Amino acid sequence: MLFVAPALALIAAFLVFPALWTLYLGVLKYDLAGSNAAAPQFVGLGNYRDALTDPRFANSLLLTVAFVGLSAVLGQNVLGFLLAAVLRDAASWVRGVVNAVVLLAWILPGTVVVFLWQALLDRGGGTLNALLGTPGAAWTLDHPLATIVAFNIWRGTAFSMLLYSAALGAVPRSQLETARTYGAGPLRTLRDVVLPHIRGHVLTNTLLITLWTFNDFAPYMLTGGGPDHRSETLPVYVYRTSIEGGALGYGSAISLIMLIVNLAIALFYLRLLRRRSA
Amino acid sequence: MAGIGLSGVTKTYPGGVTAVDGLDLTVHDGEFFALLGPSGCGKTTLLRTIAGLEQASAGTVSIGDRDVTRLAPGQRDVAMVFQDYALFPHMTVLDNIAYPLRVKRIPRAARHDRAREVGAGLDLADLMARRPAELSGGQQQRVALARAVVAHPKAFLFDEPLSNLDARLRLSARTFLKRLQRDLGITTVFVTHDQAEALAMADRIAVMDAGRIRQVGTPREVFGRPATSFVAHFIGSTPMNLLDATVTGGRLTLAAGTLPCPADLPDDTRVTVGIRPEYLTYSKDPVEDALAGTVGIVEHLGSSSLVTLETDGAAPVGVVVEEGAEPEPGTRGWAVPRPGRVLLYRAGGGDLLA
Ligand SMILES: Nc1ncnc2c1ncn2[C@@H]1O[C@H](COP(=O)(O)OP(=O)(O)O)[C@@H](O)[C@H]1O
Ligand SMILES: [Mg+2]
Repeated sequence: MLFVAPALALIAAFLVFPALWTLYLGVLKYDLAGSNAAAPQFVGLGNYRDALTDPRFANSLLLTVAFVGLSAVLGQNVLGFLLAAVLRDAASWVRGVVNAVVLLAWILPGTVVVFLWQALLDRGGGTLNALLGTPGAAWTLDHPLATIVAFNIWRGTAFSMLLYSAALGAVPRSQLETARTYGAGPLRTLRDVVLPHIRGHVLTNTLLITLWTFNDFAPYMLTGGGPDHRSETLPVYVYRTSIEGGALGYGSAISLIMLIVNLAIALFYLRLLRRRSA
Repeated sequence: MAGIGLSGVTKTYPGGVTAVDGLDLTVHDGEFFALLGPSGCGKTTLLRTIAGLEQASAGTVSIGDRDVTRLAPGQRDVAMVFQDYALFPHMTVLDNIAYPLRVKRIPRAARHDRAREVGAGLDLADLMARRPAELSGGQQQRVALARAVVAHPKAFLFDEPLSNLDARLRLSARTFLKRLQRDLGITTVFVTHDQAEALAMADRIAVMDAGRIRQVGTPREVFGRPATSFVAHFIGSTPMNLLDATVTGGRLTLAAGTLPCPADLPDDTRVTVGIRPEYLTYSKDPVEDALAGTVGIVEHLGSSSLVTLETDGAAPVGVVVEEGAEPEPGTRGWAVPRPGRVLLYRAGGGDLLA
């Protein structure tokens, strides 16, 4: 007890206290400025009722689900797996180059990456427009969701790729070759041999990237949530209401809803993971 | 039914290692054929090249009368049993055995019936619902065999199928495997580094060394008349005596004595004399045409013993002696070759001369 006391103190200070504080703020009408800043009013579940009936919240939730589903569950997962599978049999120099490029996307600071993407997508002199021969195309304005989806796939695929590389390395070659000599094609081998071996990795990876993407704030730096709330995922929505809009209590309530959604997702995956041993 | 033909097969790995080097070989239809050689000599590579898991760098592979050199493994109609058995851990024994039929899209009920039938023949009837992790090594091996049998291929390819079994089980598995192959009559190539296994099981043996075949023959031929001193040294549970000698006046002069020369060779020819310890008769009294030495170590082999005669400065001579007739260490002893059992090799690791 004595030895874990410092750790407990740290956890209390940096995790439990903010969580409780958020819980507390969530039941207040508490603003950054104005009379409600000086003397917050107790509103009970009012903030939650407001959020759940707010069409802007519903829009944001839907966008987040689409963002997570397209960019993480599908995009990073599938692309990461494909890269890992293809690289497994590639020449070592190809593997080295692809690894380096993909890892670079992952370890660069978010602001740097966003800056690069702005240069890529820029309406005037953007690289993409130059490549495609579409001068003046405003990607972030015309396709805001697609933009942040592509961005997040590009940025996060490295993790899935590395995880799947390790997982695939653990699938015994002799089992793959046995399937092959009996005439199984790549898809059948994937289903019968590879996936059963890496099922746990798939679930763990999907859980992690789902949570990261769900809470990812980088889209804000790229599109600012706009235009017209069309890329306003939940973290962006919280930021815009509580920091830009000043409604701290309301923002806290939404944060708590996000936390609950996160927990639900985690529990769902853990159940799936546990079913494996049954 | 199909034989296997290899002609000029070479396999060079991307790293530059030539594991199989311009190899010609014919395995007859229905034959139980052993690829025997020390570790690293290219046996597994050759087997994988037959299976199509490795692409030959040169040469052709045929199975039956079909040239399969460019075909994918799945189109060659062979079944391979890997050293680790490669059972699918998430499938039951039944599903493992039925797997080749599943790939061929045989309906579930039919393929399970067939798998049960084959499994029962290999003594697996009570284990059908288990997972591989719940089986002993011998049972896992039989499941892997059953899976190969279900596929009903043109040829079986076994890579050291017995090496993961303990010594006693290995002996019964030998008998079992040989009977299975004979009953099915399917052409079988099996890889082993264990000469006793090859001698016991195979119809014919190819002895490999450094990516080449040094001798092909029946167990009797390979044991009785090894074609090179390498094969002579490799085959036999007690290593063959390989002794330096020179020819003088129709006789062989060795460090331990002189022997009649079995071939007509010019004087001063340097040769290596090969005599199996089993083909030497021990005598505790001096005799003509014998190798003499001082009894060193006596190793008990069971119903006989291996006696090592030390000769001054030259290689010791091993003699197999009947149980109960072992000499005392330190005494003088003589070893007389049985008629017709003295082999001559060209000196310096060469070919059989006589
Ligand atoms: N995938 C590979 N890449 C490069 N070299 C290999 C590979 N597999 C085997 N070798 C080399 O080829 C030679 C023969 O190997 P192998 O066929 O496995 O021998 P064996 O089965 O007789 O022990 C060895 O020198 C081994 O190091
Ligand atoms: Mg091998």
